[in-house]
This record gives sequence, structure tokens and C-alpha cells, in this order.
Amino acid sequence: MSLLECRGVGMKFGGAAALTSVDVRAEANAITGLIGPNGAGKTTLFNCITGLLEPTSGVVLLDDEDITDRPPFKRARGGVARTFQRLELFTSLSVRENIQVAGEIRNRWSRKDRLDAKEECDRVLELLGIAHLADRDVGEIPTGMARRVEMGRALMTRPRILLLDEPASGQDEQETEEFGVLLLHLCENGTAILLVEHDVALVMRVCSFIQVLDFGRIIAAGTPAEIQTNQAVLDAYLGEDQNA
Amino acid sequence: MQDFLAYTVLGLCLGSVYAIAATGLVVTYSTSGVFNFAHGAVATFSALIFWQLRFDWGVPAPIAIFLTIFVFAPLIGVILETVVIRGLRGTSEVTRLVTPIAVLLGVNGAATWIWFRGGSRNIVPKKFFGGSKVDILGQAVFYHQLIGVGIAVVVAIALYVLLFRTRMGVTMRATVDDRTLLMLNGGRPDRMSLFSWAIGASLAGLAGVLLSPQQGALQIFALTLLIFDAYPAAIAGRLRSVPLTYAGAMVLGLSKLYFDWASDAGQKWLALRNMRNAIPALLLFAALLLLPQDRLRGTIVSRTRERFHVPTMKQAVAWGGVLIAVVFMLQTLMSGSAVISLANAMALALLAISLVLLTGYAGEINLAIFTFAGIALIAAWQFDVGPGGLATKESLSVPAILLSICVCAIVGGLIALPALRLRGLYLGLATFAFGIVVYQLVFLQTAPLKADIFGWKFTINFYTTGSLTMPRPDWFGIDFNDQRNFLMLMTVFFAVIGIGLIALRRSAYGRMVVAMKDSPAACATLGLNVTRLKLSVFMLSSGISGLGGLMWACQQRTLPNNNGFDGFQSLTLFMIAVVGGIGYVSGALLAGIFLALLSVVMPNIWGKLGSDYPGLHWLFVSVFGNFTKFVGPALIGIGLGKNPSGIAHQIMEGFRPYRRTPVAAAVWAAGLIGLWFLAWRGVIGNWTFALIVVASAVIVPYVIKAIFADRFEDDELAINGEHLDQIGLGREFRASDRAMLDSALGITSAAAEAEVHHVPA
Repeated sequence: MSLLECRGVGMKFGGAAALTSVDVRAEANAITGLIGPNGAGKTTLFNCITGLLEPTSGVVLLDDEDITDRPPFKRARGGVARTFQRLELFTSLSVRENIQVAGEIRNRWSRKDRLDAKEECDRVLELLGIAHLADRDVGEIPTGMARRVEMGRALMTRPRILLLDEPASGQDEQETEEFGVLLLHLCENGTAILLVEHDVALVMRVCSFIQVLDFGRIIAAGTPAEIQTNQAVLDAYLGEDQNA
Repeated sequence: MQDFLAYTVLGLCLGSVYAIAATGLVVTYSTSGVFNFAHGAVATFSALIFWQLRFDWGVPAPIAIFLTIFVFAPLIGVILETVVIRGLRGTSEVTRLVTPIAVLLGVNGAATWIWFRGGSRNIVPKKFFGGSKVDILGQAVFYHQLIGVGIAVVVAIALYVLLFRTRMGVTMRATVDDRTLLMLNGGRPDRMSLFSWAIGASLAGLAGVLLSPQQGALQIFALTLLIFDAYPAAIAGRLRSVPLTYAGAMVLGLSKLYFDWASDAGQKWLALRNMRNAIPALLLFAALLLLPQDRLRGTIVSRTRERFHVPTMKQAVAWGGVLIAVVFMLQTLMSGSAVISLANAMALALLAISLVLLTGYAGEINLAIFTFAGIALIAAWQFDVGPGGLATKESLSVPAILLSICVCAIVGGLIALPALRLRGLYLGLATFAFGIVVYQLVFLQTAPLKADIFGWKFTINFYTTGSLTMPRPDWFGIDFNDQRNFLMLMTVFFAVIGIGLIALRRSAYGRMVVAMKDSPAACATLGLNVTRLKLSVFMLSSGISGLGGLMWACQQRTLPNNNGFDGFQSLTLFMIAVVGGIGYVSGALLAGIFLALLSVVMPNIWGKLGSDYPGLHWLFVSVFGNFTKFVGPALIGIGLGKNPSGIAHQIMEGFRPYRRTPVAAAVWAAGLIGLWFLAWRGVIGNWTFALIVVASAVIVPYVIKAIFADRFEDDELAINGEHLDQIGLGREFRASDRAMLDSALGITSAAAEAEVHHVPA
């Protein structure tokens, strides 16, 4: 049984089908990759999983429980957290407040398992390597760091599965390297990750299973090694260089 | 049946004019993303221009129509787009809503200034073809009305074809979707936006010309309200669909006429005799509720230009104390009438402070703030004064205040509950509609409502006597009928609420509220029930507005039922509060002061100057006085696009030198206290004191900067208020920016050129 599963998820905007019967799964204690060219439907699928969009067909299961009809906040309370491809930071708040408020929100719905939001915020700031930016206005920091803030905010809810939408974009080579280590660390500590990322090298390094989306359909699924040699994936996304 | 058909014909005629007005709104919204609150004002202004040309100057009708609809009205649209609307890019939804409200007040103010500055005047627009009629289904219909029907059909078809079947229409709609992308594809969004505003203004003008004869003698605000009636039609079309807008307009026109038919023109049911005027607002509310659930969206503008600093609790308490001390000191110098003006300002500030929480922190909109004031007044009056209409108690009691706060909070919650599905503009319109419905059905309700529920008979008196007199409180043995004491009471209330709001903003709850404003989608994905949080904010804010409203009512003492409850005053206060700085408690204080200054104090000063210098009476009273009263509030609102954070923010930035040099600030403050003492003892006059205070506030920061230059070195990094590392961010990068950067970094033009040429290809 997968921790998160999408079965036959379809999404239409008017007459345009963004997703067609998509089956995606993410296992507990693992990093699962979801790759594909721009416009393939990755972010739309994330929106369907987190409830920001209501799929026109199919179901979303969390721990085998159908959560398709749940509003976004209930899905978050069930353990699904995410970051956004287009940054969704709280621009009126500082970096620290962005992360702390997530803990405070969590304390509102998780009264039995409350956390010290300030303390936890400090821990997350350190973990993500952005403690030095804590008191900066979140609108002033570079995009790569802002993506870490979003990730820290999601981590404050102590999710069971973390959906990351292009988290490495805006980060340089060194930062991406460190970021990969961080993802593996989180996974080791029990947070499952569904990773959408265009940095294929990062995906191949950290993911144990990869699914490839193209034109709203899953065209391949397998281990990194299998994906790198899959002809459909090479044609649609990776290109021949990847195979060389 | 004959009557039914006759009323149907008339309903369709009325609906046609609404269709013209509503499609104009749709054009501007679907091509600029700005809901043109000034649509009714443009219509009214155009109707007056037409009257001036046709009936006052005797210009032939075709020429007058051509000049009004195809020259003057589009010119107004072009001016609005160029001067006002373009400045709104990168601003929040609140700013984009407020600026057209300022335009509305400004255009109406200008019309009052031009045509009615001498007071009431009998301007009577006439129907086309001199009121000739034709018989349709047994109903005599004016040619004027038939012209309206014909034009509405032509306009609807033409607009549909333009927007959805032509390349220009696609470009116009693309302008609002993504300007940058449109520019990258060779489109000219500025030109398209200009064109759409010209069309929208033309349609407003057309509606104004067609509707104005219905009124008899033209009244500016009444005609503007008639155009407001078209809003539900535009909402029925979701501000995008021309056919749905047209259908909505017909439903609106028919509803009004069928009500006339069923109620015998309002005579049948006494309690509902104002229902006709409330029908558009009720339909607007219904149309908003029938809109599909607004899905959780992310930020529309990734980083708006509004910036609000949050003071620390120490600062908040200190400033609260300073406010109380300053008001106390000032009132000792003031004459009785000046104290009344200051008390009026404080009462309005108490009303505006509820918007700091709702709009400044939460980003939600309430365009019916005076409605809540009225509700609080009725609740307290029912409790303390009683249904007899005569004061049975001599003072306002604490339970009555608590009751008013609770009633307002509950009413706010009830209104917000269905409307909270919506956001921004739609929520604003819902509250505006609520305000109009309450005004028509409650505040104008002079007949007692007798009810019998399961044998329990009771009478509800809303505004039975046409005005309510609210006694002031009498606590701690202090006589608050004394204006100075009541001013101090309101000041203490303001300071306490202000400190409370800042404490709330700095709390976890406050952070959540602000986070919700910035990105509801992100909040929901963190597990926050956004709707519940919004509801709590709305209730809390409504409760505060109840308290503020009650104090405002006590300040006015006697409130006629038409005193500010018709919606316009709520729009004005909301606009001025945003201009003052909606994210700041001090912004609410400034809003109260501005409104009192512009509507009462300044006209009084001009009046005094006019009587002191009779030769210049026309200049001081007719020109300056009316201009200040009618156009002044709007002008400061129109400038909001340039400074969306508000005047409070600007003042704080201006006083930054004091924060860095506390000793200098202390010396300055001590000097002012010394001056006050001299004024209090009569050594210097009040005007001398005021002039020195204002002059020192302007000059001293520059002196401090000159003396303590070393403490302001990092300011050199800022150019024209923009930090060096942020120049060009959030707006287009200009060639002049590069020159300034070169200059600031000490790079000569030649060196910079050489650098450019050496960049490898």
C-alpha cells in the first residue's frame, strides 16, 4: 500500500485536458520523482492532490483513504504539505515569521501534539541553512533561498508526505548539492517526498522511483536507471544526451 | 394580464438602459481588471454635459449627443486611464478598488462644483422627441425608452463581436491576463486599455443621458445611485459575459417593474415601500451568492508595493500615551468649535480603526462601515432609550455598548458567512449591497414593524421618528456631555483599541491573518481553515465598528436616518482610511482627521476668510471652499497609486531622522511642550504655536540629517526612495536607472560603455 496514490486522475479546463487518467503513487520513507516537460501537468497534479483543484475524474488516496472530496486544509491536516512552483510566500512577514506562522497554524489544528513554534522554527531555519536570513524581509531574499523558506514552512506542519514543486530552481550547483543531501536526510527521518524537478541529475541522485508525465499522461515509471534508458522518456523529455 | 404585459414592456425598457450601463462596466473590467466604481459618476457627469449643451446652450440634439457620447465621455475615460488607472499596476486589490471610489467622489464633486456650487439648482433633462409616445401592448411607451431598447441591443451585439470575434477584442482581453506576455508578442496593452476605458466611459455616458430624464430634476448622487443599480447585471455576467450581463439587466428591469405592479407602486405594503430601491442591491447580493465558489488562489501580484511596518508593543503603548497627552494638551488651547471638530475627527477615526484589522491586516473589504454604525446606534437606542422615542435614560450604559458590539459582530458574521466564499471586489460589493438594503429597509423605515410570532406580539422600532438621539455615557462621575471630556474618552478608546490591534497583529492570530491576506492557498495547504479565520476577523472588525459607530453617534447626538447611511459616506471613509494608511492604526487617525478637515474644518476656514475679505468671497468660498469640500477627498485618493502604503507610512519615513537621533527627538519634543506651555499661558497665540509646530516638523528632520550626517550614510544607497540593490525591481528598468546607478557607483559613462562593448558575444 502506497502512502499517497492518485488513481485515474483527470483534470479538464474547459475543453483542454491537463491530466488524463493519471496513476501516480508515492511510498512512505522514499523520495519519488515526478518529471516531465513544461506543461506536462505536474503542477496541476499537485493542485489536485492538495485540493486546490477538484479533479474531473479519479481519486486521491492517502494511506488508502479517499481524500478526493476533502478541502485543502483537511488534506494538510492529514499530513500532505507542499511547496509551490510559483512562490507563495507571505510577503508581509519576515523569513522567520513565514516559518513560525506555519507552526502556529499547526498548533491550531493539532492541539494534542502542539509544538513550540519559535523553537521549532529555529530548528528548521538551521536545518535548511537559512538561519542567517531569519529576520530579513522575505521579498528581499534570492529565489533559491525563498524556495527553502517555503519548504521550511511546509516542514513545520510535520507532514507525512511533502510535495516539492521545482524546489531547486534558483539554486546554484553547490546549493543544489547540499539540497540533495537535505532531501535524503528528511527522507531518512520519516518524511516521504514527491519531487517535481527539472534538475534531472538531482532527481536521479535522490529518487528511488520516478514517474514521467507528458501531455497529461504517465508515459513511464521505474527506477532512475530504467527511466534513463526508457525510449519514450528520452523522446519526450530527457533527449539523447542523457543516454550518451 | 393586460397590466402584466404593460409592466413587462416597461421593465424591458428599463432593463435596456441598465444593460448599456452594465456592459460598460464589463468592458472596462474584462480589459483592465479594475472594477470602475466611478462608472455612475461618469454617467452623471456626461448627463450634465449633455444637459448643458442641449438644454442650456441650445445645441441641436444630434450634435450634443455626438459631443457628449463620442467626445467628452471617452475623453473622461482616456484621462482616467492615463492619469489614474495606469498607476495602479503592482498594487493590491484594495488599492485598485479604492482609487475608482476616489474617482467617483472626485467626478461627482467636480460636477457639484461646476453645476451646483451655488446650492440647489433646477436642472431638468428632457426625453428625446419631447416625450412623444407609442402604444405597445396597451402600454404607452416613450420614444425615448424605445431608443434605449434599440441602443442596448446594438451595443450588446457590437461589444460581443468586438470582444470575442475580433483580433482587437482578443488583445483587449489579453491585456488583463498578462500584459508582459502581450507586449512580448507585439501587443500594445496601454493602447488597448485606453481604448476600452474610452468605450466604457462612452457607454456610461449613454446610460446617463438615457436615465437622467427619469429623475425629473437632476440630482447628482441620486443619478449615480441609479447607475449603481446596474451592478447586479454586470455581476450576473461575471464581469466578463456580455450576453449574461444583458440577460441580468432585463431581469433587473423586470423585477423593479413587477414589484411596482404587485405592490401598487409601493402603496400596498407600507413596511416594504422602499423595497423598489432595495431590489437592485438584493439582486446584487443574490448574484454574488450564485457566483461559483472562488477557488483558493495564490497571490495575483507576487509582491505588491504596499508596505506596512509593525510597531513593537513598547512603541504602541508609548504612542498611545503620546496621543492621549497631545490631544489633552491641544484641547486646552482650542475654542469650543475647534474641540467639536477634533472630536468629530476622533469619532470618525474610531470608525475607521475597524478597517485596520479587516482591510489592513486581513485584506478583506467592508464598504458598509456606517451601516454598522447605524446598527449599533439602533441596538443601543432600543436598549437604553426605549421604544417610546423619548430618552428614558440620560446616559449611555455599558450593557448597551456591549449589546451594540455583539449585535454588530453577529450581523457582520451573518453577512460575511455567505459572502466569505468570495474575495476582494466581490466581498466589497456584497457589503455595499448590504449597506444599501439596510439603508432602504431599516434606516428609512419610519413605520413601526408589528410582529406576531406564535402569539408573541412585539413591535420593532427602527427609525420611527426619522432621527435618533443618543445620550452620552456618564461614568466615574465625569460629565461626558462636556465636549472636551467626551473627546478625551474617545481618544482613550482609540488608543486602547489601537494598542489592542497592534498586540493582535503581533500575536500568532495576527500572523495568520496577514498570511491569509498574502496567500490563502498557501494557508490552506498548511491546514488553516481560511473561511473560519475570515469569519472571525469579520466579526471582530464589525464589533469594533459597532463601538466606533456608537461613539460617533454619541458625538453627533442626534442622527437623522439619512445621515451618512446611504453608502457614499462609507465609500468615502473607506477610501480615506486606505489613503491614510490602512495597515496602520495611525492611518485610521489620519483618516478621521482628513475627513473632518476636508468636509468641515477647511470649508469653515474658507468661509471665515470669505467673510473677512468680502471682495474675495467668490474666490475663498465658491472656488476654494467648494473645491476642498467636494473634490479634495477624491484628489488625495486618486494619488494613492503613487503611494499605496498610505500617508502614515510616508510620515513615518519622513520622521526617520528622529528615530536615529533620540536625543534630538527629545529636544524637539521638549521644545514643543515648552511652546505649548507658552501658548497655554497666552504668551504666544494659537496660530503662532501651530505654525511653529508644522514648520519645525518639516525643517527639523533636515537639520538633524545635516548635523548627524554620519548616522545616515546608508541612506545614500537609496535613490529616489529606492534602495540601490532594488532599483528596477517590481517595475520596468529605465535607461535613467542605469545612469543613476553608474553615478552612485562612481562609474563614468565612458567606462560603462567600454564595459558593455567588452562583454563577449
